[in-house]
Amino acid sequence: MARNYVAFKGTKHGLVLWLDPQAEFNEILEQLREKLSSTRDFWQGVTVILKRSQREYRPEEKRRLEEIMGEFGMALKEEPEQMAKSEKAQLEEPREIDRDSALIVRRTLRSGQSVHYPGSVVILGDVNPGAEVIAGGDIIVLGALRGVAHAGALGEEGAVVVAFRLQPTQLRIAHFISRAPDDADLPEPQGPEMAQVRNNLITIQSYSV
Amino acid sequence: MAGKVLVVTSGKGGVGKTTTAANIGAGLALLGRKVCLIDADIGLRNLDVVLGLENRIVYDLTDVVEGNCRVRQALIKDKRTENLYLLPAAQTKEKDAVAPEQMKALCDELREDFDYIIVDCPAGIERGFKNAIAGADDAVIVTTPEVAAVRDADRIIGLLEAAELYEPRLIINRLRPQMVKKGDMMGIEDIIEILAIGLLGVVPDDENIIVSTNRGEPVVMDRKSKAGQAYFNIVRRIEGVDVPFLSLEEEGFITRLKRVLLGHS
Repeated sequence: MARNYVAFKGTKHGLVLWLDPQAEFNEILEQLREKLSSTRDFWQGVTVILKRSQREYRPEEKRRLEEIMGEFGMALKEEPEQMAKSEKAQLEEPREIDRDSALIVRRTLRSGQSVHYPGSVVILGDVNPGAEVIAGGDIIVLGALRGVAHAGALGEEGAVVVAFRLQPTQLRIAHFISRAPDDADLPEPQGPEMAQVRNNLITIQSYSV
Repeated sequence: MAGKVLVVTSGKGGVGKTTTAANIGAGLALLGRKVCLIDADIGLRNLDVVLGLENRIVYDLTDVVEGNCRVRQALIKDKRTENLYLLPAAQTKEKDAVAPEQMKALCDELREDFDYIIVDCPAGIERGFKNAIAGADDAVIVTTPEVAAVRDADRIIGLLEAAELYEPRLIINRLRPQMVKKGDMMGIEDIIEILAIGLLGVVPDDENIIVSTNRGEPVVMDRKSKAGQAYFNIVRRIEGVDVPFLSLEEEGFITRLKRVLLGHS
């Protein structure tokens, strides 16, 4: 098994089923079946919440998920609206972030597109004005960051934003917000830069290894 | 204080709704009115860019409607004009994130604090349009002197009537007097004859608009430009002042010489 596309996580709302938003749906099903078979008795009678926000599932796909769940005596329910909302509210209170996982996005984010992820996010492309990246951990853009980036969105003040060309509309790290000054003709960035919080301010410096 | 809700609409895209909304808003604020601009174009927001306020957005219209924040938190104060505020649209959502009843409730809430609430309507006649007009007391229709734009404006007038907005007023945008003179463009009279609604103003085609839009500064601030003057006149007419219409004819050298020498026009 190359990667884990399927994970169960215990939350205060119950057991949540997390599916890799980037994985092939068939591979997800395969892994799910494998996982469940290995501990067959454990799942009997369990209700699992399907996480939204990561990706929209088509009715057809949901039906197939439910089928597999049914085979193991499990039930699947949709994530209640309230839970998705309370996740936003958690921006206030610091929470442990998933340092080990990163979402790799292999495309350019255009205006109106957004990526939300509890771990770190790596973008292999640009983030255009009007696009947003919101990550619990760090944000790394291998391209130009011109949109909005919110690193450490769950409260981690030590999170950083790194980009080949760091020209964001707005930068947020944990609960700090900054934007470029209005009338200044800012010099174009010369090479990769990193933004981080220092003395309660978001500061930018050139990034070199 | 019971403010007035004015929706700027057109049906057709690209005729200058957003520019018009920004200029009417900024103009009214210059006259000392307290103005709130609402960008109802969810998913394709532009008003923030035209006003140069994009980098200040934290919360937006959908956040307010969904109860993620209070209206006050989402309002962005303009950087040049006192009294001007923007409620931006969400860029990452879709039109159905907001319902007409919610829009109406929001407009009613804002009425308490503002003299004018100007709603920038999206192109089209679907959900976004219905949202935008839901709370409106009055409508301003923007058209350009093109057959397609006038056709769409006519459709919009009908839809507004159905929504009990009976007296929309017309702004003819991007008029080129030279072309009208040559008979290559519809004139003001031609358009009024078809639409048969009151004329609020005529804005000449002006390169300054492109410059000011890209810079994020409404052209109404620049009273030297023809478009800026036209918008300022529109704003005063909205305020109930009887302002004569601008002469859009470019004054030729000879006429100007005659006027200066002989003292007549």
